[in-house]
Formats: sequence, structure tokens, C-alpha cells
Amino acid sequence: MNWSTTDKVIIQGITEHRAAWHAIQMKASGTQIVAGISPGHGGMKIEEVPVFDSIEQALQVAQIDISLIFVAPYQVLDAAKEAIAAGIRRLIVMTSGVPPLDAIELVRHARRYDTLVLGPGSSGIIIPQQVCLGNLEPQFYLPGTVGLITSSRHLSYEVAAELNGANLGQSMVVSLGNEPIAGSNLAHWLSILDEDHSTKAIVSIGQRIDRIKEIIAYSEDRSYNKPVIIYLAGLNAPQEKSYRDALTIVSNYLSASIPAVNRDRQTIDRLETLGMKIVQKPSEIPSIVRQALSAA
Amino acid sequence: MELLEYQAKELFKMVDIPILPSQTIRDSRKIKQLQIPYPVVLKSQVSSGGRGKAGGVRFVGNTIDAIAAARSIFNLSILGEYPEVILAEAHYNTERELFLAIVLDYELQCPVLLGSPLGGMNVNSLLANIQQVAIEEEFSLFYARSLAIKMGLSGKSICSVSEIVAKMYRLFCEKDLDLIEINPLGVNSKGELMALDGKVAMNDYALARQPVVKTLAFSKQQSKTSYYNSLRANRDFSKVSWRWLDWNNATGKVAIICNSFDSALLTWDLLKQSQVTPACSALIENSPIADGAENIEPYRKQLENMLDELESFPQIEAIILNIWESVMVSQEIVQTVVDRCDRLEAALSVAEEANESQSLPSKIGVLPRFILRLLHEQELNFTNTERIYLSGNLETAIAEAIATTEPE
Repeated sequence: MNWSTTDKVIIQGITEHRAAWHAIQMKASGTQIVAGISPGHGGMKIEEVPVFDSIEQALQVAQIDISLIFVAPYQVLDAAKEAIAAGIRRLIVMTSGVPPLDAIELVRHARRYDTLVLGPGSSGIIIPQQVCLGNLEPQFYLPGTVGLITSSRHLSYEVAAELNGANLGQSMVVSLGNEPIAGSNLAHWLSILDEDHSTKAIVSIGQRIDRIKEIIAYSEDRSYNKPVIIYLAGLNAPQEKSYRDALTIVSNYLSASIPAVNRDRQTIDRLETLGMKIVQKPSEIPSIVRQALSAA
Repeated sequence: MELLEYQAKELFKMVDIPILPSQTIRDSRKIKQLQIPYPVVLKSQVSSGGRGKAGGVRFVGNTIDAIAAARSIFNLSILGEYPEVILAEAHYNTERELFLAIVLDYELQCPVLLGSPLGGMNVNSLLANIQQVAIEEEFSLFYARSLAIKMGLSGKSICSVSEIVAKMYRLFCEKDLDLIEINPLGVNSKGELMALDGKVAMNDYALARQPVVKTLAFSKQQSKTSYYNSLRANRDFSKVSWRWLDWNNATGKVAIICNSFDSALLTWDLLKQSQVTPACSALIENSPIADGAENIEPYRKQLENMLDELESFPQIEAIILNIWESVMVSQEIVQTVVDRCDRLEAALSVAEEANESQSLPSKIGVLPRFILRLLHEQELNFTNTERIYLSGNLETAIAEAIATTEPE
């Protein structure tokens, strides 16, 4: 998959809070924002970006490759369907708080039309000093060969800061978001970065150990060409609600008296036997990346 | 948001899932006006499980017994929760009890139908016999029949049970549920079905689009849940605001302030890795993006407000602010903290001059040290003092916070 400065981008929900601010940031980084969509606001201009009532109208004046979706949570499904109907095959949903049944419908619909969806609740994608899509702040990243897949914006800043300090830049930074239902998952992006020529090592930054299952499934299925380093933030912090399979959810609340098995340790052991490096804190990442790169 | 049994049954009624004649009681004296013929079951309406074993469910044969039983149920706390409502329900003779549920499966990313031929209170046998059918495409009745057959049902009950599952599925979608359960679904000697107890959890993200929320009369316990509150407060995301994370540790000495949940998680995690459990954590969100006093002033106010509250906890010895912001906001944070410390030092010296220092030491003695982890540290107009420490490096800042709270 190629992401380039020539991609034409629209912002759905450009009149939403902070969307215009991010439009300015992205334009300053060279992103070509060709239109904003906001039903009822057609005809106006926001930060020099022409606003249309529908994507269909915007298509009459510009070609569109990517849509960034900023609309309110309950409008996300509709906005995504509008974009897919207009032939857009790459969507980045910035909005979080989308009800799960809408998110499931969105994922199914996108699959049917072979559309890549990042999010809901994504912060976007950055290729340092080239591509800037979303609200990751470009000044915190430097060009290089380490691919980052992250659940959160701030954790990627912390990791990038450590890498930058060790003169290890980033080839691509992808924010998956931290919502329980996601358009594209860790395994999906691991395979994209595994095939990406400018990426030599991959760091997966996550908060939820349940997501790591995706890495296990993927690596059992096929082997990686590139070293994968896993940083799980918050293993020692109070865990928020966990999102598991139906049977576990039901058994857990029916038998509240039976302590839930601590599966975290098992998962970590499993990853280590698969040859993946697990780090405890951001400052450990640069040396492990270096080791991995020299071994490769 | 988990619904109470009687609220769940109000939803069941909407889609014609059979429920027994029942009445809600908020005052034990009102039980005299019960419209349901005795014998009657009185059930405590609390969110926690295990009410049967705790004595929250009573069978009563007449009004006198009912009043006494209702009084004792209202006075019985179940895992710390007193019921606001008792559900009085007719009695039902079951021949067999089934378990039915629909749950959102986050791994499969779709709803899953669950059923067990052995419903009721025995969790082990229920779970040992549980069956499931994932709804990976659009729902159709055959999925429900497939569940019924897997459960070992035969004859007419295959159709009657799957009709109930279809109604549950309708509620699941229309009301944005995370979970809906009927346990037990009673089957009587004629093969008729009755939802005897139910559990419903509505998805928090979707509450604001569910008009039914307004008609359900939430209990105090339900209204306390943070998401429900944030919904009611109708938060304005264009304005700076702060909130607590509900992570607490009464013996902690370090408080954390961050500008994102993930930073708080990271900071907490790093402290824990050094065997330090923080006291609490708060977030300050929606920071100003443009400069100008009208933007920065509200930020300062919110920060002051947070610090006021944190300083009222005497056990807190260090406050670590890990805030990843622009130079403008970082400078404002430094200035706010410096001014705060200056004000206190001034108050102390005034008090000393007036020889009234006895009235102040308690306040001064507990004033925590500030550990600031901010970006652009070289550009900030600040040098470290006894009270305030600034670093651009997170792990250095964490080490400093730990050193501050360790006994010498």
C-alpha cells in the first residue's frame, strides 16, 4: 500500500470541533486537502478548503483518494458509507465513542467493498517529513527505518522521543486507536509494515494485552521477515474494562466468585517463545531495536 | 449501564417476551395495594448478583408476611447496596429452566447467541452445557433454531425458544445492548415459556441515542456511574476541563496529572515498576490550541482547581505533572505552579512575622513537591527550586518523584 504526498484527501465533518485546526496542521505538512464535507455548510470555505454538502458534489471538482472522518460518533457509520459509495477505499476514522454495533456494521461494509479503515478513534498515519494524515504531530517524529504501530498518540510520542534520541527515526507511524472494535487490526498492519521496503524493524505499542492475540495468531500463521518489538504500557496499572469473547464475558459475571485466570503472564510467555521481544518501558526500546537490526 | 431486573423486564415487555404479572414497590406500606394475587415473590432490585443467597428474594403468602418481608428486604444491603425498589411478582411453577443470552463478542467482532439447557442458579452445570452460535452476517431465525437444536431441545420448543431469542436479538440491536440474558427461562408443564429473571446491559457509548433511557428511572447507584454522569453533564469538548480517573490508593504519596489517559497509564505503570503505587490520577483535557489570554486563562483556572483538590489530601507528598503540550501551555503550567508556591511562601513569612506560625505549619508541612515533566524544557523560563523540579525526560522525572517521597 502506497501512501504519498500526491494523495488527495477530504475531511468529512470539517465543521466539527478541531477538524479545521488539524486541517491547518496537515496542510502545513504538505497534505493535499481538496475538500471538506459538511451537510448544510456547502459553499463556504474553511482554511481555504472548499466545503461541500456531499462527497458526490466534491467529486465533480476533485479526485479523492482518502477520507478523514471527524463527524460526531452517531454519524460515523453513515459518513463511512457515503465515502465508500463514492469509491473512496482508504478511510481514517478519527472519531471515538462509536457504538459497537455501528462499528461492526462499518467493518463488515468496508470488507465487502475492499476498503481499508483505520479507527474508529485513530490518530492517523505519519511518514515523517512526507505524509501527515490525522492529528499525530509531525514535529515529534524523524525519518528512519522503525515502523510504529500504536494504540495511542501520546505513547507513540514517548517511544519516538526515545528513538529520536538514539538517532533511530521512523519509517511509518500508524495509530489504530483504542476502541473495542477496529476497522483494521494489529495483524493487518504488521503484514503491511513487514512488506514495506523502508521499514527494517517494527515496534508495536499497545495498552491491551487482549490485542496481542492478533500478533500470536499472525506469527503462528507465517513468519516475520522483520524483528517485532512489543511494548505494553499499563500492565501494572489499573486495567480498564477488558473486551473478550462472549463465553468469557458470560462466565466471568455468572461466576463472580471464581477469580479470573491471569492470562497476561501466559500471553507474554507465548510471545517470547515465538521470538518476540517484550519491553517494559520506552527507554529500553532503542537498544533492543539496535540489537535486532544488527542481528537481522 | 447495567439495568435492574424490573427495568430489563420493561424492555422485555416492549417486544412481547412473556413476563409474569408484577408490580414495583418503593415503600413497604404500599404493599397493601398489591394487585397481584398471593402467593407472591418479592425481589430486591440491586445491581449486584447473589441476592437470592443473601436473602433478597422472599416468597410470601399474605399481606402481613409481605409487609414484614418487604421491610427486611429494604433494610438488607447486598454487597453494600440497598434496594430503592422491590419487584413483587406472581409465582410460577416451572418444570424446567433454560438459560439464554446474547453477548457482543469482541474477539469475533459480532453478537453471539448463547444457550444452556440447564438454566438457573447452578452456574457450573449451566456453563458446562453452554452452546453458542455467532451471528456473522445479518440475523435470521434459523440461527436461533440452530442454537435451540444444539441445546438439545426438541419438538415445539425448538420454535418457541427460538422466537424468544429472535425477540432478544431485536432488543439487542434496537437498544444498543452489550448483553441481554434470560435466566431462568421457565418452562411449565404445558411447555409455555416465561422469562423469570433477566439481565440487560446497555452500551455506554450509545446511551445518548436511546430515548428509553429517559423512561427507566435510574437508581442512585446507576446514576453514579461515571459515563452516565458525563452524558448528563453534556460535556463541551471545546473547553478545557479536568476529571479524576477512578484509580485510587489511600496510602499512595504520589499524585499524577496528565493530559491524556495513555500518559496517565504510562506514568502509573512506570511508578509501579519501581514498587511505588501512586495515590490517584487526574486528567486535564482539551488544552488551548491558539494563544491569547482568553484561551490560556481557563486552562490556568482548571489547573489551579485541580491542584487545590490534590493539596487537600494530606498524604500526597509529590505531584507529578506529565504534560505533553506546546511551549505556550508548558510555560503557563510552570508559571501557575511557581505562583502557587510563591503565594504560599509569602503567606508563611507573613505568619512568621506575626508570630502566628502555629496556625500555618499544618498547611505548609503537607505542601507537596511538584515534579514537572514538560517538553521544550530549554525554552521554558525556569530553574529548579526546592519546591519545583522540571525535566524533559519522563523517567528522570519519575525517579525524582520517588526520591521525594522516600524517607531519608
